[in-house]
Amino acid sequence: MTSISHHPGVGLRLPHLAEMVVTRPTAGWLEVHPENFLANPHAAELLTELSAHYPISLHTVGISVGSATGIDCLHLKRIRDFADRINPILVSGHLAWSAYKNEYINDLLPLPYTEEALRIVSAHVNQVQDGLGRPYLIENPASYLGFQSSTMRETDFLSELVQRTACQLLCDVSNVVVSAHNMDFDPYQYIDDFPAGAVREVHLGGYTPEADEATPSAELWIDTHAAPIAEPSWDLYVYALRRFGPRPTLIEWDNQLPSLPALMNEAAYANKIALEVGHAFAR
Amino acid sequence: MPSLAELQQQFREAVITGEVQRAAPAALIGGHEPSKRLAVHARNYETSLVEALLVKFPATGWLIGTPFLREAARRFVHEHPPQGPCIAEYGAGFPNFLSNLVRARLPYIRDFSELEWHVGQVAIAVNSPSVNAGEFSTIDAARLPDTTLKLQPGLRYLDLEWPVDDLLKLYLTETVPDQFELTRARAWIEVRGARGEFHLNRLDRGEFTFRKSISHGRSIGDAAEHALDVNSKFDPGQALAGLIAAGLITAINCGRLCTKNPGRS
Ligand SMILES: [Fe+2]
Repeated sequence: MTSISHHPGVGLRLPHLAEMVVTRPTAGWLEVHPENFLANPHAAELLTELSAHYPISLHTVGISVGSATGIDCLHLKRIRDFADRINPILVSGHLAWSAYKNEYINDLLPLPYTEEALRIVSAHVNQVQDGLGRPYLIENPASYLGFQSSTMRETDFLSELVQRTACQLLCDVSNVVVSAHNMDFDPYQYIDDFPAGAVREVHLGGYTPEADEATPSAELWIDTHAAPIAEPSWDLYVYALRRFGPRPTLIEWDNQLPSLPALMNEAAYANKIALEVGHAFAR
Repeated sequence: MPSLAELQQQFREAVITGEVQRAAPAALIGGHEPSKRLAVHARNYETSLVEALLVKFPATGWLIGTPFLREAARRFVHEHPPQGPCIAEYGAGFPNFLSNLVRARLPYIRDFSELEWHVGQVAIAVNSPSVNAGEFSTIDAARLPDTTLKLQPGLRYLDLEWPVDDLLKLYLTETVPDQFELTRARAWIEVRGARGEFHLNRLDRGEFTFRKSISHGRSIGDAAEHALDVNSKFDPGQALAGLIAAGLITAINCGRLCTKNPGRS
């Protein structure tokens, strides 16, 4: 299916795949990490079957546009081939890096917001969009660390990236909440500064507070995607929808997965909020 | 100010080795002691990959104990970071690594974990339609020795020093015998699987050599010669019929002139 629904979607992970094929619950759309399917032909076959019934979005975790040592063209080609097979409605990735030369560090690592980084990320985003033959959405990261060398705010970096590459953006509202807590900034101001015109998708995911080793008696919020969406994220979601207008929204849950119906309930709740915001707009 | 590449090299060192205090780059921001937050990334790296390995080697965990397997996996991820972003492909080198740790205590650990790795790989394969005997009958017999065959993707041929397939069957059937002794003896195993299922077939050495050679792209004639080298009683005709009957062949490649009626298309 090729048109995206404004009914919220859910992240589809391998443990739910077979159940999804059999039960086909109502969902606006599905988002998968293509890296989990490229080396798993059986899963790819099931996803291809699902793609006849649901719009599918590809959320890449291995393209690593922030790597100073370049991006993996072979991997990009595999994603392109997979996208040609699935015909996704959206393809996205992260403002982060996860590869150094030929080593793949299985995490999303932070970038300094400097002119040098902007030049590198812009060149890679152009390369990715050319390679995929599709627009690429860049997602704001969940941050635990920043750099003294940064010369611009994250929102300025993203605005400039949009200017230079005509890429689109994925605003992860929960990442804003997590980063704002950890890096001590105002999440509402961040949404005000976010380049709203480029936003094509919104994410909501759960986070987990733990003791901040770096600061006595403080909490660090970890973007675990292992919990229900927390109240501060729902509140900021309402604010973000008012600013961005209705946007396809996705519930991300990757660890300690709930049952598929429980996941769908989170999506239904996001839908309720979006409808309320929409009605408020219409009044 | 370090370049982005230098900064990432420092990050890489800290996250992959897990020695965040030693390797942390300077001039970080975040809390009172920002370098300590680097531990979050080091932990994400380690735990995600250790968990991925534990999921791939449950039978090995049953054999050597999960705590030991977890510790071995932890060491492996620090010494052998993934070379690509598809974590389903990560871990092919783990059986060898594990073997270096416990070979003295369990000499068959490499064979066992290697078998488990390949079972996991074939179980996610997808079968292709197989070639039937009728399609074979159109091939000119004179061209048969030069013909190559494409086999199902979910096939692996393992020449093992220990018959660890017996041990894996114990794990799979949740059988706990009072006593179990594994005697060193070569075993030629065909691992076949697709769509979540798999089978282990023990082959004789000749048939194993034939099928393995075919799977490596050798011609039928070449594969038969190899098989005859290891077993003088090997019967190529019967072996080929066996491959066809088992539905293992997905394509025949004998050039354009291989059929009896090349003019007909
Ligand atoms: Fe996200």
